[in-house]
Order: sequence, then C-alpha cells, then structure tokens
Amino acid sequence: MQDRTDANSMANVIAGKQEAFESEYIRFDALTALVIDDIGAMRHALRSQLQWMGMNSIKVAGDAQEALQQVEANHYDLILCDYNLNKTTSGQHFLEYLRSERLLSAKTIFVMVTAEAEYAYVANAVEFSPDDYILKPCPEKKLRARLERLFDRRNFLLPALAAMDDGNYLQVVSECDRLMTLVSNERWLLAALKLKAEALLSLNDTTDLLKTYEQALALRDNVPWVKIGIARARMLLNEPDAAEEMAGQIVAENPSYVAAYELLAEIRRMQKDEEGAYQLMEQSAKILPTAKRFRSNAESAFLLGKLDEAKQYAESAIRLSNGSITERPDDYLSLAHIQTDLGDPQGAIHTLEKNARRFEEKGAYGISRNAILAQAYFDAGDKAAAKRLLERAQRLLTPESGSSALNLIGKAAFKMGDSVLGLKMLTQAVQSSGLERERIARHVTKSMIDTGQHDKVEEVIDAGQRRVLALVDEARKSMHVAQFDAAYRKVLDALAIQSDNIEALFAAAQLHLLWLKQEGIDDDVQERAKSYLAVLDKLVPHNEKVMGFYRFYDQLTGA
Amino acid sequence: MMQEKLSALVIHDIKNSLALLESDLEQLNHRADAPEEARKAYQRCIELKNRLIGFLTLYKHEHAGLKPNISEVELFEFMEDLVSGSQSAMIASRHGHAIEVCVADLGIRIAPEVRRKGVASLDVYLVDLAIESALNNAVRYAASKVDIWFEQDTDRLTFFVFDDGPGPTRTGNAAQEASPGKPASTGLGLSLCKAVTEAHGGGSVALSDAPGGALFTMAFNIAG
Repeated sequence: MQDRTDANSMANVIAGKQEAFESEYIRFDALTALVIDDIGAMRHALRSQLQWMGMNSIKVAGDAQEALQQVEANHYDLILCDYNLNKTTSGQHFLEYLRSERLLSAKTIFVMVTAEAEYAYVANAVEFSPDDYILKPCPEKKLRARLERLFDRRNFLLPALAAMDDGNYLQVVSECDRLMTLVSNERWLLAALKLKAEALLSLNDTTDLLKTYEQALALRDNVPWVKIGIARARMLLNEPDAAEEMAGQIVAENPSYVAAYELLAEIRRMQKDEEGAYQLMEQSAKILPTAKRFRSNAESAFLLGKLDEAKQYAESAIRLSNGSITERPDDYLSLAHIQTDLGDPQGAIHTLEKNARRFEEKGAYGISRNAILAQAYFDAGDKAAAKRLLERAQRLLTPESGSSALNLIGKAAFKMGDSVLGLKMLTQAVQSSGLERERIARHVTKSMIDTGQHDKVEEVIDAGQRRVLALVDEARKSMHVAQFDAAYRKVLDALAIQSDNIEALFAAAQLHLLWLKQEGIDDDVQERAKSYLAVLDKLVPHNEKVMGFYRFYDQLTGA
Repeated sequence: MMQEKLSALVIHDIKNSLALLESDLEQLNHRADAPEEARKAYQRCIELKNRLIGFLTLYKHEHAGLKPNISEVELFEFMEDLVSGSQSAMIASRHGHAIEVCVADLGIRIAPEVRRKGVASLDVYLVDLAIESALNNAVRYAASKVDIWFEQDTDRLTFFVFDDGPGPTRTGNAAQEASPGKPASTGLGLSLCKAVTEAHGGGSVALSDAPGGALFTMAFNIAG
C-alpha cells in the first residue's frame, strides 16, 4: 500500500472511475497469458475476464498435455490453472512437473484457481507452490486487484528474476541486495529475500543462506517458508539437531505442512535413519498424494524390505500418473521388480509384457525390463527364456547405461548362477554411480543379500571408497562453516585415495568457488578451481551441476 | 448415509451451476447493450450464491466445526482487495446513485505495542466471506457511503463496517450481539460472522446504531 495507489483511490475505481486502473503500473495489454481449465465455460469466463483487463494475447488449454505444449512453445507472463484438471493430473501435479523440469521462467506468474472445498487441500505448502491461489468463482475486479499486486511485485523483482532465468545466481544475489535498498514495503522485501535465498541455495552458499533467512525471520516470524529455510540452512551447516527442532516446531504448529515432513525426512536420512525418513515420507504422501511421492516411497519401502507396502506405493504411482504427463515407464519396472521379489513372477511378467507393452524396449528401460523379466521367467521355471532375456539385456548395454540397469542385470546373473557376470555388473554399478552412489549402493547391497552373496558385499561396495566418502563428508562440513583450509586438506586426502572420485571432485570444485566468493580472488585458489572444473568436465561432460559451477566461476572471476 | 451423499452431490451441483450462471451474467453485463434486467439478474445471482455459501459455512460450523486455513495476512492489502473485489460494493446502488465503499485510512489504528504491525494470522477466505456479508448488509441500508477499517491491539484485531443509513434500530435489524444457536434477525449474516470468529478462537460480533448511521464490528481474539 505504501508504494501504490492508496486505498481510497482504489475505492474510487470501484465507484466507476475506470481511468485509475489504466495506470502506469501494469500494462495488461503487453502481457501474455495461458488459461488452463478442463471445463469450457470456465475457460471462456477466465479468458473474458483477462480480456476485460486489456490482455490481448491469451491462449487456452483444456488439459495438462495441451498446456505443456503451449508452455514449451511460448513464454507466458501469467498462467491461470484450474486445480482440478482431470482424474489423472491436478494443477499441483502440473506445476510440480513444470518446476522440476525447469520449464517455467522465474518471470512467469503461476496462479492456481481452486474451488473452496479444494483450497484446504491445495494450500498445504509444498516445495513447489504457486505464486498465488484464487478461489472460484472470482469476479473480475477481485482477480484484477490480485493480478495487479502480483505483477507489481514481479516488475519490482524483474532484474533479479531475469538473472535467475539465466542461471546467473551471483547476479540474482546482488540484484536482490540492490532492490532491497529501494523499498520499505515488507512484502516486497520478503519476496526479494526469498529469491536471494533460492539463489544462495543454488550456489551452495550456506553461510549467507542462514543470514538471509534470519533477515526474513526478523520481518515475519510466522511464515512457514522462512522457518523451513532456517531449518534447511541449519541442516546444510551440519546442525541437524537445530534443524530438527525448527522443522518439528513447524509440524507441531501446522500438521499439514508437507514441506516440513520432507525436510525432517532429509534430516533422518542424513542421520542414516532410513526407517524414520520413510515414516515421515509416508505422512507427507498421505497429506498430499502425488505420483512422485508414491514413487519415492515405493523405492524406500523396497529398500527397507517392506515389499507389500512397496507394491502398494508402486501401484498407486502408476494409477495416479497413468495417461498423464507424469507417467513414467520406470514405475512398471519398480512394480515388476517388487512382484518378482514377492514371489509372483507371473504378476511381474504380466506387468511388463501386458501393462507396459506400449513402451519401447530401448535404452536403460529396455535393459532393466529384460533383466527383470529374466528373473521372473527363471523363477517361473522357464530357464531358456530367462537366459535369452538376460543376453538381450546385455546386448543393449552401452557405456551410458546407468547404474540401476547394471544392478538389475547383476542381480539376474547372480540369481541364474552366473556369479562372474553378477560381480562384474554390480561392481560397475557402484563405480559408475557418481552422485547417486549412496542410493545405488543400497540397491546393490540388497541385490547381493537377496541372491545370497552376503560375503561379497564388502568387496563390491569397496571399503576404500567408503573412506573417500567419509573424507568428502568431513570436507563438506568444514566448507559450510567457511573453514576452507581444513576442507581442502580433507579433499586432498580423499583424492589421494581415488583421484577420479566424482564426489570428491565436486566437493573440491565447490569448495574453491566458495573460497573465492568469501575471501576474494586469490591466484592459487582460482587456478585450482579451474583445474578441478576441467577434470569434472572431462569425467561428466554436459553435467548441469558442472555447468552451474562454470557460470559461478565466470561470475566470480569476471571472465 | 445415502441421503447425506445425495445432498452433498446436489449441493455441489447447485454451487457449480451458480458459478457458471454468475460468470455468464458477468459477461452479459460487460456488453455495452446489457439491459437493466441483466444487472438485476447478476445481482440476484450473487446474492443467492452468497446466501448459499453462507448457509453451507454455517452448516459446516455446526456439524463439523470450521477448520481455518491460517496464513499471514497483510491487513492493508487485505482490505484493499476486499473492497476492490467486493461484489456488494460493485453492485451497490440506491435510487440510481452509487454508494461509495472506501477503506477509511484515518480510522485505522495500530497500538504501538503490537509486535507484528499490520499483519495477522487469519483464514482469508473465511474473513473475506464474513466481512463481505457485513458489506452486503451495509450497502443495502447506506445513504451514500460505506467505510471499512480495522484496529489492531496486542490481543485483539477488530474490523469495522460503517454505513450512513438509518441504523439497525430504525431498520429493524437486531442491535444485540448474535450468539450461537440464536440467529440474529439480519438472517445469516451475523451468525456467519460469529462462526468465523469462533473458528479463529473466539471474539465478538455486533451491529449497533452509531452517530450518523450503523456500525458493524467483528473482533478476533488474536495476538498482534
């Protein structure tokens, strides 16, 4: 209110003085919008309302698939999306998909349109929340007032949002700092702090992250994203107890706040309490069921040996995503794998040969499919078919096949008595697992125990590798509290054991970038940063994280 | 059981149909050649919808209890949005003259001890619904203007709606506080407001004569 038309002039507008809306603040005629609603009449109504505001460039879509094509082909300033799209995809699924696939520009305003009955359900804060909710039916004047406010804020943040789209996080931080000196409106200050925190998270700059959230906390002490942010920063600073206390407090005050459960689960995982993490993820999936949550719970339950629960989650993931944009062939692989382990080879065969027959047998999917089918046919007594399938899986192997596929071939080989192939595949699976090492190691361990190879687990998982990872972990802890020299020594120790360990190299590169940022340019540090990046670029070409590091490096050194 | 399910379905259907009718009428009224009857029909439709939503909210309050979805609300912005989006304000007219509905900035008072000035934890949807019903009542009796504002104290947040009409004593509206189980003679309005304050942990609601008109107050016992 301080920075805009005052309330009385707003009331004059209602009394009919239309010209006040044609202000210099928002030029609706220059904006593009996408309206998504499965009911034609509602689509039409929302489009008309936007037209009355002066918008000319408005596209409509009747389902998520159509909307997705629109989003991929055009930039939109505004997306108005109905929550209840159809049986398989909700507006929330769609938004989560857009954000996780990075299809949405930071400049795009996404507004969820919900019925009153759904509001309680959708307003549970999650990782991916829309910019605003409106309850339908929403009269034009109300919609206009809300959109004006949202676009005012967007226009204020525009330089920082543009930098965010470019992945130039350092600039996002400096733009936010600059913008915050220009206004006193707390709402805008908070929005700038939120954006700055997102950029710092992308930069892995944990020390400034906590400071930023604390600044936000000083403005508002009851905003859930601020509290979650503080808890997350504490977790990254390796203060799990403080993080847990904060997250626990959020859950106590707001038992349906999904993001808090998910953060608590991350903390449990950090403490190696997989069972505790799983229980929290179960709660989060109960509050806000999505295919992604079911998928992840199916995997956790499977790894914990809770096969019946795993099966239920895998089936739910398939049911919820079937025919929608979130559908993934891997869900059928998970279900068939679980069915095989449950002693239901016929069920597994049916899942892959009947229910998933529309997916092409190629790439990692093709390998995994054949490897699971080989196990199922073997269990069903058809040894010849099993052998054929395992060979087919091997023929599809390429150097880029991925650890999960290797793990499945290894398991099939052990089951069918080919321990040479089994050992080779599982060792390769662990070695090529990169940043997913921990997850893959759990899968490989399970594969080996399930096939009676307890005695070889150590050999495959590699005790030396564990020492490397422990050192990397210690290096990260030192790095997050800005003890760069100590962190560097740990990283050097780790790289002395295994010079091409991806995690150690990632930690080394990140450490040097933060070092440069916090303590200014130093020739030695800069040179080392550059060489670690070059090694990473060679080992994992086109990796998004490495690209991000390069951008960070360029910004820091002014290259 | 079956009856309950059937009622829920029918109500859902009626709500949806009303929403579609409302949007049809809104579009019709945007046409330059919209007849006066279209305006009246739109007004009736909105009143009907508000009555239905008010009734359903009260029903929920009495049968299952209203569960508020609390979020941090900027009170200035909330009031601005309330007025600019208020359908009662939009269609308010009496004898062909527009009623001016304003946020009375001068009335707004925030006690110096309030920690979170101008911010409160509220369910925006419910509070909007309650104040909209008070506005609806106010514009019906107002001579020329309706003012709304708020006062924030450390233990209480109060919303005010003033209209320059004849006042409840003369219009026959109840001056007494509405209480649960005893709906005020204004119909659903005060009971709805009462339900909304109860859902937020208590407070009080009153409509009384005031110098030059009628004053509606709705107070929430919430810390500021």
